[in-house]
Amino acid sequence: MSYYLLLSALLFAIGLYGVLSRRTAILIFMSIELMLNSANLALVSFARASGDLGGQAMALVVIALAAAEVAVGLGIIVAVYRVRESTSVDDLAEFRG
Amino acid sequence: MLLLLIILLPLLGFAYLGLFGKNLREPLPGIIASALVGVSFLLVLFGLLGGGASWEIKDWLPGIPLSLVLDHLSGYMGLVVTGIGFLIHVYAIGYMHGDEGFSRFFAYLNFFIAMMMTLVLAGSYPVMFIGWEGVGLASFLLIGFWYTEKKNADSARKAFITNRIGDFGFLLGMAILYSTFDTLSIGELREILETSNVLPLSLGLAGFLLFVGAVGKSAQVPLMVWLPDAMAGPTPVSALIHAATMVTAGVYLIARSSFLYVNLQDVSYFIAVIGIITAAYGALSALGQWDIKKIVAYSTISQLGYMFLAVGVGAYWIALFHVMTHAFYKALLFLASGSVIHALGGEQDIRKMGGLKKYLPRTHLHGLAGALSLAGFPLLAGFWSKDAIITATLNYPFGGTGFYIAGLSVAFLTAIYAMRWYALVFLGEYKGSVEPHESPKVMTIPNDILALGAIFAGFLALPEPLWNYVEPFLAPALAHVEVHHMSLGLEWGLITLSAVVALAGLYLGYMAFTRWALPKWYLTFQTWSENAFYVDLVYNTLIINPLKELAAIWGLIDSLLDTGYLALAGVSSWLGEKLAWVQAGYVRVYGALMVLGLVVMLVWGVLR
Repeated sequence: MSYYLLLSALLFAIGLYGVLSRRTAILIFMSIELMLNSANLALVSFARASGDLGGQAMALVVIALAAAEVAVGLGIIVAVYRVRESTSVDDLAEFRG
Repeated sequence: MLLLLIILLPLLGFAYLGLFGKNLREPLPGIIASALVGVSFLLVLFGLLGGGASWEIKDWLPGIPLSLVLDHLSGYMGLVVTGIGFLIHVYAIGYMHGDEGFSRFFAYLNFFIAMMMTLVLAGSYPVMFIGWEGVGLASFLLIGFWYTEKKNADSARKAFITNRIGDFGFLLGMAILYSTFDTLSIGELREILETSNVLPLSLGLAGFLLFVGAVGKSAQVPLMVWLPDAMAGPTPVSALIHAATMVTAGVYLIARSSFLYVNLQDVSYFIAVIGIITAAYGALSALGQWDIKKIVAYSTISQLGYMFLAVGVGAYWIALFHVMTHAFYKALLFLASGSVIHALGGEQDIRKMGGLKKYLPRTHLHGLAGALSLAGFPLLAGFWSKDAIITATLNYPFGGTGFYIAGLSVAFLTAIYAMRWYALVFLGEYKGSVEPHESPKVMTIPNDILALGAIFAGFLALPEPLWNYVEPFLAPALAHVEVHHMSLGLEWGLITLSAVVALAGLYLGYMAFTRWALPKWYLTFQTWSENAFYVDLVYNTLIINPLKELAAIWGLIDSLLDTGYLALAGVSSWLGEKLAWVQAGYVRVYGALMVLGLVVMLVWGVLR
């Protein structure tokens, strides 16, 4: 049980690091996916430990949500790339206070 | 449906002329507007011949129907409004010729007729109030018709604000009636009041407040100051709104509510006193005016005073009879004045007129008919109605003789100033510089008809034992008042007396303003009268200027408050500026801040 959770925490930390350190939108995106899946892993392992199927159902919802997110996110990235010829998020810093 | 059309036709004219009138060529808007009012007149006539009509939406508001009623009273008033209105519309086609706002003018006039008919046909007080406010708005728009001059715009505002004071009374009166009886339908109220024996105490207050509304609308003392200034509008407006129809709305309101006032002896007495004071004030002020229209305006105030005297002493049908004859001769006087002003290229000072009999033969006849009818020259319309009012005061149990003597004295003054108006404008030598020209036919023909009315309308209701059509016609819609009939000999003696008084006034006026040199005391009086006894000055000193000072003080306090609020706003905008750096625009910064927040929350959660 705790191994699964440790793995989940590790994956989450790697994902978080990726989100914070990468500049390319694609890589940030992949890191976010990693974080989502680490969360899934945690959900599934809790579900199994407590014998409740709710956690597994939640994991399925997260997967469906992630798929939708990928579709929208990639679409945005492609559109931005067409205009800017770059996917670096630091180039997209016009909305500042 | 027919009832709705009476109101909707002029309203349609207003909408059409207001929206598309600019594209129409000159006489067309006038013709459309006149035709619509003419059709309304015919509809009222046919409605009356068909025995009246009514229309309502039940429970428009709880206990308040949206109802219109065409009975003998509203039909009578409606005929006066649309009939005189039609003639004045036609006249205005000539008078407004070449004016930039030609179609706008007719749009406003049609709007006025629509609102006036709403007021007249209303079957419940709130509907009447809609019309009441609507005519106030129309009056405001038309007084300030030539709004580029500040004086006109000021006069329009003055009229509107003064009217609002009265309207407030009307509103409060309605509120009291509603809270007492749970209904504002005039028919239902009448039934309740005529069947119940016990009258609620608040009834007196309600009646008084409704009368305050009438005081504002009908320019009675102390709210009479707006009417003379309202002469800033084009002359047809003065004739239609400020002489023949709108200002008589107050009288109509009291007559409509006669079932209420017949039970309120004290309020009725008050109305009669206000009426006679107003009559005297108007007549005294009319004597000293130099503006051709202002003389007629003050005489309107005076005649309205007579009407209120009549409703005060319970002679409701006589008041309405006077409304009708007054509509004829006063509209005629105004339109004749307008014709004179038109002929002299805008001159209004009677000191620069005189001798116009020679130049304007037709208008001279109109002016003569109007002035004599106003003065109460025997057998003319004004004579019969005014005499009926003065005689009716004698039957009034509370101080009738006093009212009679005062009324007769005012009639004497009326004859003098009517003659002064006529003599200074039409007799003597012409003192102006412009070459006068007679008005076109489109202006003289309506005046011909009005002149016929001013001469013969009185024969509709003659004293006993001769015929009287007006009283039995109006009787079903008015409260029944027991009248103690005086003997025929006395009655006709009094009629002869008032004829003698009118003739004496006319003679004195003629001699004084054409032959004699005026005595010194008269010149002092003249100055006072010219300034309308400085009522405006008194109001300015006592009410308006203190209010202005108060407004200035509040303005100061307001600006202090504003400073405080501005400082407060400054603090938050300073904070905003300082915090703005957080929004760097870098996604990673936002991400890092989120993580930081998450960590803080986790730590806090664990430590707790």
